[in-house]
Amino acid sequence: MAVGSAVFAVSCTGTATTGTRELQKEQQLNRFLAEVERRALRIAEIGVRDRDEALDLVQDAMIKLARNYSARSQEEWTPLFYRILQNGVRDWHRKQAVRNRVMSFFGRKRDEDNDYDAVAAAPDPGGRAPDEQLQNHEAMQGLEIAVHNLPARQREAFMLRTFEGLDVAATAEAMGCSQGSVKTHYSRAVHSLRATLEEHRPDDMYVAEGKR
Amino acid sequence: MKVTDEEFNKRAKADFDTSVDALDAATLSRLNRARQAALEELQQPARQWTRWVPAGGLAAVALVAVMIVQDPVGIDGPPPTAIADMEILLGEDSIEMLEELEFYSWLDVMEQDDDVG
Repeated sequence: MAVGSAVFAVSCTGTATTGTRELQKEQQLNRFLAEVERRALRIAEIGVRDRDEALDLVQDAMIKLARNYSARSQEEWTPLFYRILQNGVRDWHRKQAVRNRVMSFFGRKRDEDNDYDAVAAAPDPGGRAPDEQLQNHEAMQGLEIAVHNLPARQREAFMLRTFEGLDVAATAEAMGCSQGSVKTHYSRAVHSLRATLEEHRPDDMYVAEGKR
Repeated sequence: MKVTDEEFNKRAKADFDTSVDALDAATLSRLNRARQAALEELQQPARQWTRWVPAGGLAAVALVAVMIVQDPVGIDGPPPTAIADMEILLGEDSIEMLEELEFYSWLDVMEQDDDVG
């Protein structure tokens, strides 16, 4: 009887420990996702130029991270999450290309950018003065289009390094390439963005000093 | 005077952060729901692949496969890589789209009519 009670007690303790560990893991993952989700959404949105699609991609990335990698250490989550998200964005573009081909069979080629209304998708003011908001919105819109139009790998490198603030090693892990490739893609992206903004918007605050 | 690369990146990051901070409540709510859906995955046991592809979807895939392989006249760009296309077309959401091709086709016609009108 005493042995039976001891076994039951050990079993309960083990279950309680496992439950606590699972709860801790859930809380850690919740904090991580809450911290990263808004930037991830904007990064995906710049990649696909559609907020609803971007929301779906972010949700897919969250679910895949939770399902497949929640047991990994927390330090690994950021590059893993962005790797999943970038793969999702790449798949989305491939699917769009195929869908365009299929739809063209019925007589009309769809252009993924034509339906995107940047003004409608623009964020709320957030309490800023209208002129400040407009200035920021115009600058961000110009930059957003320029970033979107970069080659995919350059776009990924720029957004992960500049917008998400990942270091070269984490960016390489997220992109699934070498650190040298990240440096090359990133450097080309910055050079290309500056050239584009300088060419099309010479008075833009990204080009001329002292505008702010 | 032109800005340096470092200054350029700082400004880009600042504007990006501002756009992140200004996300509207509806979007934040959807993100929250997405996060809760992801956290529910932690409670789920490993899933078995039990979904069956509908017969209608398969028929639609076969039809589109023929269309792709034949590389119909009037499609821009180089001919598609059939195998890569089939991988995409066999994806779950693509099958849903293929099952509703008639609807999308009708939508296109309506859009064209709107453009004309």
